[in-house]
Amino acid sequence: MGAAQGDYGEIFDRGYRHYAGPRLGQAHAIWALARYSMARAVGIRRPWTAKIIPALLYGAVAIPVAVAIGIRAFVPAFAFLDYASFFGAIFLLEGIFVALIAPEMLSSDRHDRLLPLYFSRPIGRTAYVVAKLLGTGLLTLSISLLPAVVLWLGNGLLAREPITAMREGLDDLGRIIVAGVLIAFYLGAIGLTISAFTSRRSVAVGVIVLGFVLTESLSFAISRALDGQGPLAPWVFAISPSRTIAGLVDSLFGVPGFGEHVPLTSAIGAIVVVIAICLAIMFAWYQRHD
Amino acid sequence: MPADSPFSIETTRLEKRYGNVVALDHVDLAVPRAAVGLLGPNGAGKSTLLKILLGLTKATSGSAKVLGWDIDRQSRELRRRVGYMPEAETLAEGATAADFVAHMAEMSGLPRRAARQRAADVLYQVGLDEERYRLIKGFSTGMKQRVKLAQAIVHDPELVFLDEPTNGLDPLGRDEMLALIERIHRQLGILVVLSSHILDDVERVCDYVVVLDHGRVAASQPLRQPEEATADLHVRVGSHPEAFLRRLAEAGIAARPAGIEYATDEFIVSRDGDRTLDAIRDAAAESDASLRLLRPAARSLEDLYIDSVGAIPPEARAEPARRNGRARRGAA
Repeated sequence: MGAAQGDYGEIFDRGYRHYAGPRLGQAHAIWALARYSMARAVGIRRPWTAKIIPALLYGAVAIPVAVAIGIRAFVPAFAFLDYASFFGAIFLLEGIFVALIAPEMLSSDRHDRLLPLYFSRPIGRTAYVVAKLLGTGLLTLSISLLPAVVLWLGNGLLAREPITAMREGLDDLGRIIVAGVLIAFYLGAIGLTISAFTSRRSVAVGVIVLGFVLTESLSFAISRALDGQGPLAPWVFAISPSRTIAGLVDSLFGVPGFGEHVPLTSAIGAIVVVIAICLAIMFAWYQRHD
Repeated sequence: MPADSPFSIETTRLEKRYGNVVALDHVDLAVPRAAVGLLGPNGAGKSTLLKILLGLTKATSGSAKVLGWDIDRQSRELRRRVGYMPEAETLAEGATAADFVAHMAEMSGLPRRAARQRAADVLYQVGLDEERYRLIKGFSTGMKQRVKLAQAIVHDPELVFLDEPTNGLDPLGRDEMLALIERIHRQLGILVVLSSHILDDVERVCDYVVVLDHGRVAASQPLRQPEEATADLHVRVGSHPEAFLRRLAEAGIAARPAGIEYATDEFIVSRDGDRTLDAIRDAAAESDASLRLLRPAARSLEDLYIDSVGAIPPEARAEPARRNGRARRGAA
């Protein structure tokens, strides 16, 4: 920008200039899209009305953590909330959170007809889906992982010997991270897949919430009908996200679940397969989208 | 080397079918690097051609290159170098213009800081400097079109595809948008492919025209022919055509009706040296006949369109822009 400096100020030439700087690759575009989508999903740089529900959900998740840490501070002997119970307690909030942000990630782009603008740029269709899953997964970590880590830190710091307690609790931290990451990307992938098929956010939100509820009922009904018989019986839990997550958390933390034991490998396997199927569906869907 | 290609667009037997409907029928093109007008009635295949060239949809058969880059094998390299302003309203309504345009710059590979700087610069260039921090949903149609144009050029493309950029604009907004597009090409040096069904838009901005009709190339040629300095003149007057003709005859200038496909107030005036333009001006002034059109009669875009497609539909003519009640353009 040319500038002529004098005694009274500067005059800037704001004529058009060609861009001669670097042009970054696919990884940059994926991260930029994920970051932009995350910010929009929680209402950053948007009107205050877009921030209300995310803020309420964050508040709702913070309450049990704050209560648990408070009780721990004043009544150290009373174990108010173990990690498995915490994950169980916040599943509903995680589901609502994903139902809220996943449509914002994908349905909004379709509603605003932004896909031609993205797909006429270097970011490809596959990278677009990867960026959206990355954004949804990372954002959901703020609900599925961050509060549990805060709880773990609170438990450790409030122990009589914090360093020792935290060192001994590293196994729990590892389990918390595994559970938090798997839950975030698992729920995110399901929410995104549903959102990919509609440009109406309200429809996507409704289908996601209903889907979580109905698949749980369906899964229990099929379990009852099979009564543990047949080769598919051990996998019926995988129909329901809530039962899959319960199975994962119970196996990880070694506590009894819904009256049936889901091996850890089965729970993780089911989650990975569902994420892979969701990605395959979205890749195929966006490849054929003009 | 793609960068050395003399053509902006090359297609070889490009075909696109939607079931039994043929949107593009074996299109062969070799379009030079220029401001290119893609003209044709609605449904002629203009948008389909643009979408194929941008990789937004696949051709059924045939091949194409843009700036020398193959649209299938080198699509990513190509998409770094082109911009696209779609016909539809494609904007993040809940974002500010600055955020949205900067995001689109990042999607084209610009680093974050450079993207924000470029967004501010380009929004200034399209006349949205003051409004760039306002939400797009509060913008008028003309402002939204400017944001669409800004996102199309924010990454400094070599070529920008503009699909019906004056759609929905009032005459003044249309005039301003065309002035912006002219500037993008003539001053900023960005190649332009302007798809439009309005003859005046193409005639004003473009050097080369491709006319599509029912998915076929009806014409592909330079818009301004070299003989236009000596060609007869096509004149349209807004009032008193008889008095205008009488005055011309008195000045010894011959004129005849433009033809059955034109309105009755349009004439072809025989060129008689340098005095012809003066005589037309004087005849119009003395007969109080306001001049609406004055251009070389030889192979005008209208002639080309009529020869290629047939009659000109009413929607292909644009209403002239007016400022303070007076026509800005029209009498060239």
